[in-house]
Amino acid sequence: MIQCLLIKVSYNARGLPVRSYRTMTAEEMTIGRGAECTIHLPDPRIAMHHAVIKRLDDGQPYLVSVNGELNIDGSIRQAIPLTHGTQVMIGPYQLKVEPAPPDVNLAVSLVLANRLPDDFQDLKSRTHEPLQGAFVFKRRLSIWMAAFIMLFFLVLPIAQSLIPQLHSAMTQLPFGFDRVWSPGHVSNAHLHFSAQCSNCHQTLTRKVADQACISCHRDTTPHIVDKALQQRVFKTTRLTLGGVRCAECHREHKAPHPLARQDDGMCVKCHGKIKAIDANTKLPDIHDFDRDHPGFKLSFSTGDAAKTVERIPQTDTARLVEKTGLKFPHSQHFGKVQGPNGIWDVRELSCTNCHRQEGKEMRFKAVSFQRDCQSCHASKLEVGHAANPLRLPHGAEQNVMNALKVNAPKQLAHYSEILKTDGCAYCHEIEGTKKGDSLPWRVVPLNINQDWFSKAHFNHASHRTQKCQSCHNVEQSETSADVAMPDRKSCLRCHSGNSPKAKRIASGCMSCHSFHSHPVQSERLAESLK
Amino acid sequence: MQRGNIFDYKNYLYFKLAVILILLGFAAYLMFEPAVGYYGGSWLGYGLGTLSAIMVFWMAWYGIRKRRYRGSGATQGWLSAHIYLGTALTVLVTLHSGFHFGFNIHTLAYGMLLIVVISGFFGNYTYMIYPRLMTENMGEDNLDGLLLRIAEADKLARQIALLMPDDINNTVARACRETSIGIGLLEQLRGFQSDCPSAMAVEQLALMGHDLAVEHRKLYRDLYSIMVRRETLVRRARQDLMYRARLGFWLYFHVPFSIALLVAMVAHVVAVFFYW
Repeated sequence: MIQCLLIKVSYNARGLPVRSYRTMTAEEMTIGRGAECTIHLPDPRIAMHHAVIKRLDDGQPYLVSVNGELNIDGSIRQAIPLTHGTQVMIGPYQLKVEPAPPDVNLAVSLVLANRLPDDFQDLKSRTHEPLQGAFVFKRRLSIWMAAFIMLFFLVLPIAQSLIPQLHSAMTQLPFGFDRVWSPGHVSNAHLHFSAQCSNCHQTLTRKVADQACISCHRDTTPHIVDKALQQRVFKTTRLTLGGVRCAECHREHKAPHPLARQDDGMCVKCHGKIKAIDANTKLPDIHDFDRDHPGFKLSFSTGDAAKTVERIPQTDTARLVEKTGLKFPHSQHFGKVQGPNGIWDVRELSCTNCHRQEGKEMRFKAVSFQRDCQSCHASKLEVGHAANPLRLPHGAEQNVMNALKVNAPKQLAHYSEILKTDGCAYCHEIEGTKKGDSLPWRVVPLNINQDWFSKAHFNHASHRTQKCQSCHNVEQSETSADVAMPDRKSCLRCHSGNSPKAKRIASGCMSCHSFHSHPVQSERLAESLK
Repeated sequence: MQRGNIFDYKNYLYFKLAVILILLGFAAYLMFEPAVGYYGGSWLGYGLGTLSAIMVFWMAWYGIRKRRYRGSGATQGWLSAHIYLGTALTVLVTLHSGFHFGFNIHTLAYGMLLIVVISGFFGNYTYMIYPRLMTENMGEDNLDGLLLRIAEADKLARQIALLMPDDINNTVARACRETSIGIGLLEQLRGFQSDCPSAMAVEQLALMGHDLAVEHRKLYRDLYSIMVRRETLVRRARQDLMYRARLGFWLYFHVPFSIALLVAMVAHVVAVFFYW
């Protein structure tokens, strides 16, 4: 039997301990939440039958765990001997073995050490505010993002431009910090040096200057051949004209859009009011090929010097007479023609029988006697008896005379006269020679115009689906003095101006003209910029 | 009838203004095509860009304006304009870009703007939807009232459970001890907790009710109904927290990204005129 003094300690309203004493006598004293337990502890943290106090085999009273945990100095034990001073935690209760008075074997005190918290406050402490720390989070994220963007997209690119050491160090790398400023793809032509923005953007806050372009494009020719006029016109940086820099027409960072502008806006800016640019000009105002482009002028090489070129309007028909030195009626070389071998020899001729195309742009080879004329007109270089004629070479007059001297010295004068009136003269103009010349007559040197439209470019290849006659009206041409170049109206049959019209293709300035003048005629743009 | 909300403020004044802005933007875009294709550096591009920049600063000013209780016009009107003109701004900026995008500061600024606007749209949506749902969920209660009722249920449940077997008592005690509401951001946004001790306790109690002693059965029925009621209360509290979290969460993006947008926009303008 155990006689036990149970001292329950509670705290009164003033926080002072109140001890209540009870003596129990039993074989075993059960401790638990259950109402039937000897020591009843009404707390949800205590098991129904938590523990029991009983004597074990050695005769000493022990606290033995039944369904609950016993905790002594932080370790969980199954059985704890209740000797003087032992302190055990039974759930939230502290059990302490007190000095026993003489009438009992054991005295224990029980105190509720861990009170149940207040439910509402407890729950409230476990209920979190929505979006706790939102302000701190937002402020922190704002600062970080702003700092990141400022550093990589503003400070470093600017620093690279302003600090020469950093700039030179960055040129060693494939990309500079300012790469992030590039607004679009660089064209393929400029790709290999575009990684360094400063190659073109040489001065901060200034538009790309022509000098940047000229440092590579040294061969580029100016727009106007006259150097003084070129400088005067293009140095004016009037706002209305946009300041005509290279970059006004050659727009970079627009790939795959073409680098050079293809529209007429910039052309019309000046050529629409050309007198405002140069009061002395003879050029008319032009806005649109369809609307107010003047008729074409043809380039005639006149005079003795081959370079003297005169530009004659197509309307001035009286002066449109070509002096080639040839006598050639196109009308007799077209369609079905009589061949040289009797009346049954009928041949079909077309333009390409004589005008052989050459090159990608379909220019034409010079007409050659051997290739193009001889098959029909060989007899014109034959003299003497028809059964055994003397065949003379086509070429310089001296060679022909030499052949006559060698083969028919006696009839030299006779044959020479035949050639002068019929043989050579059948196709060529013949002129008499001055006294002292080794030859009695000469063939007039040929002067065949190669470039009628010297201010424009025309690609035969892109017109190859058309018939030649649709532009070159030669079927009725009786003489080689006729000029059979198409006029503006015949272009307008298929082409319109800046905007497309019904069944007509839009054709801007750049369709026929180049901005930069012909390289032969002009100095380099680099020189005119100086 | 309620007098005007932010959407029909002054008979849709700012909605009409936004529509006019968008139409004008599109008309200008279609009429003036630059020769080298649409881009921000044409005169039209500069015009749209300048207008957009001014509007962005004005939108950002709303963040300051709404915290002031004096100033021009009603805050309601400012918000209405903020929403409608912000939408129009997005269209104008897109036209300003000429639909050219790349890995650069220009597209970064555009992306920031899109994030700000889209988060703003979401915020708009939450303010249209959630206040009503919150009222439906809470009725006359507020969150503290709910918590008080949960705490009362706790106390009652624990008292009953004291008389019940250990497993039931432990389950109830654990549910009361460990239930928490809106632990992390994710739980707050989702509005429920997958391992909620209250819900688990109800499930476990349902299983434990089978083999009870006769004297416990009535108590068990009381306890079970208390716990079920308690769980409903917990769920409603979580739901309330979810609505409040969602009402504020879009600002996690809207505010920081608008700060970032301002910086990116300044960098964009500086970049354009430094390498002019």
